Amino acid sequence: MTLPSLTPLTSEPVHAPSGPPLLEASGITVRFGGVTAVKNISLAVRPGEILGLIGPNGAGKTTLFNALTGFVRASEGRVTFDGRDITHAQPQVRAKMGMARTFQVERPFEDLSVLENVLVAAFLKHRGRAAENHAYDVLERVGLADRAAQPASQLNLARRRRLELAKALALEPRVLFLDESIAGLNPPGQQEMVALIRTLAQSGLGIVMVEHIMHVIMSLSDHVICMAFGELLAEGDPHDVAAHPDVIRAYLGDDHD
Amino acid sequence: MTASVTPARPRALTFGNVWISLALIAVMAVYPLLFGKSMNFGVSTLIFAGLAMSWNLLGGWAGQTSLGHAALLGIGAYTMTILATPERVPAFLGGPLAPWWGALIGMALAALLALVWGSLTFRLRGSYFTLSTIAVALVIRLVAINSDWTGGSEGLFMPELPRFLGLDLFDRQAEYWLAFAFVILTLIITHAVRRSRLGYALQAVREDEDGARALGIDPTRMKVIAFVISAVLTALGGSLYAIYLQAFEPHTLLELPISVQIALMAIIGGRGSIQGPAIGAILLAVFGEVFRTVFANANLLIYGVLILAVTLYAPDGITGLFTRGGRKLGTAR
Repeated sequence: MTLPSLTPLTSEPVHAPSGPPLLEASGITVRFGGVTAVKNISLAVRPGEILGLIGPNGAGKTTLFNALTGFVRASEGRVTFDGRDITHAQPQVRAKMGMARTFQVERPFEDLSVLENVLVAAFLKHRGRAAENHAYDVLERVGLADRAAQPASQLNLARRRRLELAKALALEPRVLFLDESIAGLNPPGQQEMVALIRTLAQSGLGIVMVEHIMHVIMSLSDHVICMAFGELLAEGDPHDVAAHPDVIRAYLGDDHD
Repeated sequence: MTASVTPARPRALTFGNVWISLALIAVMAVYPLLFGKSMNFGVSTLIFAGLAMSWNLLGGWAGQTSLGHAALLGIGAYTMTILATPERVPAFLGGPLAPWWGALIGMALAALLALVWGSLTFRLRGSYFTLSTIAVALVIRLVAINSDWTGGSEGLFMPELPRFLGLDLFDRQAEYWLAFAFVILTLIITHAVRRSRLGYALQAVREDEDGARALGIDPTRMKVIAFVISAVLTALGGSLYAIYLQAFEPHTLLELPISVQIALMAIIGGRGSIQGPAIGAILLAVFGEVFRTVFANANLLIYGVLILAVTLYAPDGITGLFTRGGRKLGTAR
């Protein structure tokens, strides 16, 4: 079997990544008209590091994510990847440089088979049969090889999530952005995904993940950023962030409401 | 799962169903033997089959509906005819050009137009491209009607043409085989696209532009490439059509109905299948011929009825009715 075996959610981060950051963002601000969705957020991701983005609904996590991957234009701030300024680069250019993302609402190409979905991504770095073989190898890695010929539209939610991940991985990225890949899965599905993400980080991939489920973020992340109303609330070691009074207040509300 | 019993990997990279294409080619090849007296019908049907196939590279694969392909057809027809006519050919060329050179120049001009036109309009999403195709076709029609070098509203007559590979270009038999070659060319190109990175990128863009961008695909670039290929082939068809017509005027060649007809052939045949547009063109031509003899001028009515029937009962076209599950190009086997 190609699926990583089920592992319990241990509460240790994968390892201590080192080296210079691959992705750096400084002072990212995104405004939509008069609304400031993201305000002055900075972050850095090293190879092998898992950076968790948490925060209540509407905190601006997905907007920040979109600004980092190029789907939303940052009003202020600067993003660099591997030392190059990519603040104004189109998403497809960032993908070619080595940044891959999944979407919160997974979006397979419904008319294509599972294999063909991944093939579209595999063509970024490979041609012809080599691309096809690469696509199939990635499907084996995420445990979808037995579904390769099926239309993508027939997959259930858990498998769609894995297909999203397979498409991102087929780009052979150096930084992976996961937008709520785990929320909505049943507990075994969550464990499989967590194990997979852990394996990916161990292979040297930098990972930025947005997630709702606190214990998942806490068990996976090396570093956590908590946002509320577009602003940075707390940052640092997962446990310190979880214990931070502002974070608790943001999630549970004030005493004197 | 051990290595020795690894099940056969499913293949994604195929040329699609080549057998249907071969059957189609066989039908086209025997037609002159059976209906040698109706070569006019055969030639025009095959030209439109090729045009519908060309249209589909943009309309089907890239999902960009053009209602201005008459302009590209016209560029092919006018360029070739003007360059072949001694009294119209620009002086610096020093004399009329053989039709094949004229056709190639027409194809180059069509490519250039598609490149500029697509680069400007594919940044817009939705139906704006379709609107722009109507507008550009209208402009080109007005230029053709109001210029002297295009023969104005009277149009152009085909001059004497040299023989092409030993063929008399005004012989219907020769024209039939040229149109036959044109359809085969469009079939080969469509099969090649089906198997290529471009084909998959186009399908991805058609379904979800942002999803495609996340995978490193530039949607505008892919659509422009599809448009250029479609335009080049359409211009080639235009040159053939000009030879077939021998005389043409802007009011027939460059009008919206021609654009609509090409698009409808592809849509009714099935823009989701590789051969659908050619099959649609042939079926519409046959029906048109039958209805013309039965209902005289009411034959235009069948277009209306067919569009209604197809959109209501077979949104994936006639060929879509026969492909189980495989509704779109990617899964059409």
